[in-house]
Amino acid sequence: GSPGELNPPIPSLLSPTVTSEQIEHLHRRFKQLSQDQLTIRKENFDSIPDLEFNPIRGKIVHAFFDKRNLRQASDGLADEINFEDFLTIMSYFRPIEMNMDEEQLDRFRKEKLKFLFHMYDSDHDGKITLQEYRNVVEELLSGNPHLEKESARSIADGAMMEAASICVGQMGPDQVYEGITFEDFLKMWQGIDIETKMHVRFLNMETIAHCY
Amino acid sequence: QWATIRIERGVKKPQRQMLKTPAANGIIERDETPMEEEIARLNSDDFQFSDVLYFCRKGFEAIVEDEVTQRFSSEELLSWNLLTRTNVNFHYISLRLTIVWVIGVVVRYCFLLPLRITLATIGIMSMIVGTTLVGQLPNSSVKNYLSEVVHLTCSRILVRALSGTICYHNKENRPKKGGICVANHTSPIDAIILTTDGCYAMVGQVHGGLMGVIQRAMVKACPHVWFERSEIKDRHLVTERLREHVADKSKLPILIFPEGTCINNTSVMMFKKGSFEIGGTIYPVAIKYDPQFGDAFWNSSKYNIVSYLLRIMTSWAIVCNVWYLPPMVREKDEDAVQFANRVKSAIAHRGGLTELPWDGGLKRAKVKDTFREEQQKNYSRMLVRNGSIG
Repeated sequence: GSPGELNPPIPSLLSPTVTSEQIEHLHRRFKQLSQDQLTIRKENFDSIPDLEFNPIRGKIVHAFFDKRNLRQASDGLADEINFEDFLTIMSYFRPIEMNMDEEQLDRFRKEKLKFLFHMYDSDHDGKITLQEYRNVVEELLSGNPHLEKESARSIADGAMMEAASICVGQMGPDQVYEGITFEDFLKMWQGIDIETKMHVRFLNMETIAHCY
Repeated sequence: QWATIRIERGVKKPQRQMLKTPAANGIIERDETPMEEEIARLNSDDFQFSDVLYFCRKGFEAIVEDEVTQRFSSEELLSWNLLTRTNVNFHYISLRLTIVWVIGVVVRYCFLLPLRITLATIGIMSMIVGTTLVGQLPNSSVKNYLSEVVHLTCSRILVRALSGTICYHNKENRPKKGGICVANHTSPIDAIILTTDGCYAMVGQVHGGLMGVIQRAMVKACPHVWFERSEIKDRHLVTERLREHVADKSKLPILIFPEGTCINNTSVMMFKKGSFEIGGTIYPVAIKYDPQFGDAFWNSSKYNIVSYLLRIMTSWAIVCNVWYLPPMVREKDEDAVQFANRVKSAIAHRGGLTELPWDGGLKRAKVKDTFREEQQKNYSRMLVRNGSIG
């Protein structure tokens, strides 16, 4: 596009930590993916070779269109997203800054974890049930013909039980663990340093030689 | 040389550090630890939720920037070389710079361009006339000598027409007769650059128009291998003809570009194994252009050949380095693919380019399913191993 083209208004949650050059880069990438259209659809993600390798490719692409991630009031899936929505999703992966205080860090962490939670919770009911968890495991293991469905199941079941023990403690024989709620999810991730692992860092531009 | 952007690492460290990524040429910092290590780090025992994190991040990195697509667009430069086409973020910095830039434009378009076009026309005309004349002679050593002279002279004129400055290294390894010369491919100019220093038999498709005239004239003077469009599809026919040519030790070495398409000169992509199945000695050549003076990469989906040539002729110059590498032969227990990769590594290493296992054909096509399944198998194998312990 022409240099100096103006982007749509930047969502306020991005402003302190993302520079305009980074946004320009993302905008260029957006245009590349959308083939110069104003919106992206699911099919546009097919053109990325590196993404093909990824076992949870489907969930990642889905996350872009998930209205909960797009901070829209309604629920369900959007058909297409524009650049502002694209930035909104990318903002979940921004790295933390040095000057953040405790409260900001906490909010940051919650946002990232919420994003991950939505990835698991495919029916949007606010809980990750055993079946949903199994789905994720199966997707991660998909494509391996040697792996039996049973092994995938047992892995999922084992992990779910562990999750239950963390969240609920010892359960009585009649108790049924319905599913992992977001609060339980938060508990499970305590101790894992998500802020440093769930980010995409931009390399910062050194300004071109100043001529005065 | 790369337009990398440097970052300050600020995560939980008291002082700021400058991070320099070696040979990075992208816009995001990538963590190159292999999958096994990373996942082992994330979870000490069984499969847990954190595995998803790894793939999620990889996915996002791929969406922001993937290694392959960026090879099909021109390299970005760290400092501006006064060509707006290479500086994507042209903003108005100062009046003085803009004036310098305007002068640059005037010099390039009004002064250099006409000179270059004249030279190029002279070059092409003398090539056609020269080769036709030489072609009239009966086959003899005199004819070969004259044809060499004609080819070399005309290539030199054409290279001057592009203001090309070429530096050849290791000339003792120059390809000999009966061999196959392979090189990395950045633009159609590669062929001219190589023929300035030696004569080769070209391999390619028959074209119509001016190209066709040139091709027919060249064939009269010395044997090149031109294929009809229909013959290209038949791989056996192609291999057979090339094999015939190579077997004849008196014929010039063949010039082949195994990547199959133009790449932007920052990396070397997969070498197609066809050229390596022919047999014979392979003479690898590495070509690296200096992007400061002009961008030689032909983005065929963005520009057609005429506008590409125009851009080349209005750049400052084409500066490049050519390294001749020592000849390689396929070893007994190597198959064509392994041999191809070996040659590719040697070329990438010499030219200072990164190596990618991807196919240049991805410019237009999608990833083969076999690749994808391979990766998935790796992950699940690892998981089952871990899962069975817990």
